[in-house]
Amino acid sequence: MLNTFHLYIRSMGMLLRSHLQYPASFIMQTLAQLVMEGGEMLAVILVIDRFENLKQWSGSNLFFFFGLMSVSFYITEFFGRGITGNFPSMVRNGQLDTLLLRPRGVLTQVLCSGVDPRRITCIAVGVTAMIMGSNMSDVSWSFLKVLALIESVLTSCMLILGLFMIEGIFCIHSVKSVELVNALTYGGRSACQYPIDIYPRPLKILFSVVAPFALTMHVPAAYILDKPLYGWPTWTVFVTPLSGVAVLFIMSMLFNRGIKFYRSTGS
Amino acid sequence: MRAYFSVFRMRLKMELQYRGAMIGGIICQMFFGIVLVALYHALYESKAQAMPIEQVSTYVWLQQAFFRMMVATDPDLNDKIKNGSISYDMGRPVNLYWFYYIRVAAQKLMGSLMRGIPMMIVAFLLPKGWGMSLPTSVSGLCSGLVALFLGLLCMCALENITMAFTMRTLDPRGMQSLLNLLMVTLSGNLLPLTLFPDSWQKVITMLPYAQLLDAPIRLYSGEYPVSDMPVVLLRQAGWAAVLILLGIWMWESNRKKMIIQGG
Amino acid sequence: MSYIEVEGLRKTFTVRKKREKGKLFREKEIVEALKGISFTVEKGELVGYIGPNGAGKSTTVKILSGILTPESGKALVGGRVPWKDRKDYVKHIGVVFGQRSQLWWDVPIIDSFSLLKDIYKIPEKDYKTRLSELTEALQLENLMRTPLRLLSLGQKMRAELCGSLLHRPELLFLDEPTIGLDAVSKLALRDFLKWENKEHGTTIMLTTHDMEDIAALCSRVMVLGHGQKLFDGHLNDLLEKFDTVRTVSVKYDTSTPTLNLPDGVKADQKDGEIHITYSPSELPTANMLSILQNAGNIREMTLESENIDHLIAAMYKEMDL
Repeated sequence: MLNTFHLYIRSMGMLLRSHLQYPASFIMQTLAQLVMEGGEMLAVILVIDRFENLKQWSGSNLFFFFGLMSVSFYITEFFGRGITGNFPSMVRNGQLDTLLLRPRGVLTQVLCSGVDPRRITCIAVGVTAMIMGSNMSDVSWSFLKVLALIESVLTSCMLILGLFMIEGIFCIHSVKSVELVNALTYGGRSACQYPIDIYPRPLKILFSVVAPFALTMHVPAAYILDKPLYGWPTWTVFVTPLSGVAVLFIMSMLFNRGIKFYRSTGS
Repeated sequence: MRAYFSVFRMRLKMELQYRGAMIGGIICQMFFGIVLVALYHALYESKAQAMPIEQVSTYVWLQQAFFRMMVATDPDLNDKIKNGSISYDMGRPVNLYWFYYIRVAAQKLMGSLMRGIPMMIVAFLLPKGWGMSLPTSVSGLCSGLVALFLGLLCMCALENITMAFTMRTLDPRGMQSLLNLLMVTLSGNLLPLTLFPDSWQKVITMLPYAQLLDAPIRLYSGEYPVSDMPVVLLRQAGWAAVLILLGIWMWESNRKKMIIQGG
Repeated sequence: MSYIEVEGLRKTFTVRKKREKGKLFREKEIVEALKGISFTVEKGELVGYIGPNGAGKSTTVKILSGILTPESGKALVGGRVPWKDRKDYVKHIGVVFGQRSQLWWDVPIIDSFSLLKDIYKIPEKDYKTRLSELTEALQLENLMRTPLRLLSLGQKMRAELCGSLLHRPELLFLDEPTIGLDAVSKLALRDFLKWENKEHGTTIMLTTHDMEDIAALCSRVMVLGHGQKLFDGHLNDLLEKFDTVRTVSVKYDTSTPTLNLPDGVKADQKDGEIHITYSPSELPTANMLSILQNAGNIREMTLESENIDHLIAAMYKEMDL
C-alpha cells in the first residue's frame, strides 16, 4: 500500500514538472480557469442578489455549499485527472494494453497517469466561497465541525472519483451512451452545489442513493451551519459520508471486473 | 447553392450515425434542464418574481435544447489550425471564410435539431411550470423562428471570430475557454438573462451574446411584445452583419500574414 | 521442457458488422483469430513470427504477454501461465511496439526510466548497472535529458528498447520494431538485438513485415496465416520452398542480341540493359546462363539474389493468404 502511494507521489511529481515546462501557457490557462469558476460563482451571487433566500437557506449558506462542492470537485479533478479525464482516450487508443504489461494494478496506473494543476485556481475560488459563506453565516467553529468538514471533503472526493469511474467502465464495455454519466458527475456538481433538500423527491432520492452527495456533503454542511438535521442525532453526521467510500469501493470492484472483461474480449 | 445543401445533408447523415451517443447526450441535457427548473421552483418559493415560473421554465428548456447550436465547433478546422495546414488553404484563391461558415452552420443546425427537437417534445409533455409552454401568439412563434435563424447567423460569425483568434495565438486554449465563458454566461445559458439584475440587463441585451438565444426565446415566450419585434430583429441582424464583417476582416488579415510568413 | 510451450491456442472475437440497411441492430459476426496454434521455443532462441495482416500474430503476442485470455488451449512460459496472475507474470517479459510508445511523451527519457524503475520495483543497484549497460549499448548518453517527443524515430526506438529491458526480462516481444527507420538505424537495432540475445540469453520473438530483419536475426521462423501455423523451421528452408522467381540483368556489346528464350520467360529492355525474370524450377539457372552466353558478347551480367519480399509474396499467394 505504501509502495503504491510512493509511486503515486513520484508520478505526480514527474507529471507536474512536465506541465510546468511552459509557464506562460500554464499561467494563461490557470487564469482562464479562475475566470470560468468566477463566472460560476457570479451566477450564485446574482441568484442570491435577486432571491435572497433559497427556502430555509440564507444567501451566505449558499456560498458555503457552493464552496464545499467546488473544493471537493476540483481537488478530485486536480489529483484524479487520470480517471476523470484520461481514461476514456486510453481505452480508445490502446494505451490500456501498455498498462496491462506492467506489474501494477490498472487502476493504480490510471490514477498515476494524470494531474490537472490548472484547477488550483478553482480550488482557491471554492475555498474563498466557503470562508465567505461561513463568516457571513456566523458559523462558530468547533473541533468536531472541522473534523466534519475534512471528512466531508475527503469522502466527497472519493464519491466523485467513483462516479467518474463509471465513465471508464462504460468505455471498457463499449457502451455507446457514455454521455449519460455526465448527468451524475457534472450534473451532480451543478445540482448539489445547492442544498439538496430544496429539490423534489425523485432528485433527492437520486442524490441520496445513487450519487449520495446528500450524505457526503449536505448533511455535514447542515451540521456546520447549525441547521436542523431532520431529527437525527449528531453522530450520523460522521457516518453518512462513509457512503462516498462505499461508492468508490463498489466502483473499483466493477472497474476491475471490467478489466477482466476487456482481457477476454480484446479491443 | 447545391453544394451548400449537400453540406447540410452530409452533416445530417453523420449525426444519424451516432444515434447511441446522441440519446445519452439528450438524456444528460434533459437532466440538467430538470435540475435547473427544480432550482428555480425552489427559489420562487422564497421570493416570487414578476416573470411567471412558466416563462423561466420555458427559457431554461429552450436554452438546453439549443445549447449544441451555441457551442458546436468544427473539429477539422481546429485540427488544421493546430497542425498548421490551414496556411496552405489560406493561400488558395478560394473564399475560406464562407466555406467554414457554412460548414459550422451545418454542424450547429443539424446537431441541435437532432437533439433539440426530441428534448422539446418531452419538455412539452411535462406538467405546467416544469416544462415548456406554448408560444403566447402566432406572431410570437414566427418572430421567434426568424430570430433563431438570425441567432444562428450570429453564432457562426462568433465562431469564425474565435477561430481567427486561434489562428493567431500559439496556445489558444486559454483564449478559447475565456470566449466560451463569455458566451455561456452572457447568452443566458448559465443563468437566464431575465434573472440578472435589471440594471445589468439593459447593457447585456445590447451585447452580441444576447442576440444568440436570449432574443429568440423572449420573442417566443412573449416577453418581448409584438411591438418590440422589429427592434429586436433589427438589432440581431445588425450584430450579425457587424460580426460577419469583423470576422471577414480578421480572416483576411490572417491570410495576408500567413502569405508573408509562408505558414 | 521448453521455455515456451503453446498447445492448441484458440481465440475468437465477436465483431459487430456494419449496420445493414433496414435493420435496427448491427449483426454480430464471430471471427476466429486463432484456430489452434501449437509450438515450442527454447530459452535463448531468436524466433521470427510472420504472416499477412489479420493472420493472428498480434493476437498470439497479446495472449503470450498476458494481456488477452484465450478461449481454449494451453500455454506455459517459463513454467507460468501468461494470463494467470498477471502482475507476477509480466515482471519477466518485455514488449516493444513499433507504433506505440510506452514511455512518457513530454518528459526527459531519464525520468521515464526512473519511473519504470519504481513501477517494476527494480533495486537501485541493479537499476544503475543495467541502465549504464543499456545506455552504452544503445548510445543514449546524450539523449537522457531530452523528452521523447523531441527524439527522431531511430532515437525513440532506442529509448523504447532501453525502457523495456530495464527490468531484465527473460522474454522480449518485438512488434514491427524497424518500421519507419532509416537503414543505419535498422542495422544498429539488429546488432543490438543480437548482442542482447547473446549477452543475456534473452529469448526474443520478433513480429515483422520486414523480411530483412528476419533474414538478419532469425534462424527460425514461423509463418502464420488465417489463424493457423503454416510453417515452422529455418528461414532458408522456407525460401528454398518458394524460390519461384529470379532476375538476371545482362548488358551486351551489340544492341540487339538474339535471345532464344523459352515460352513464358519475360525479357524487358531498359537503357541498354536486359532484365529477364524466370522461374528456376522451370528453367534451371545453368540453362539460362548458356542461353544468355549464346546470344552474344556479354559485357556485364548480374544475377540478382532472391528478393525475399517476392518470395514471401509468392508464398502467401500459394498458401492462399
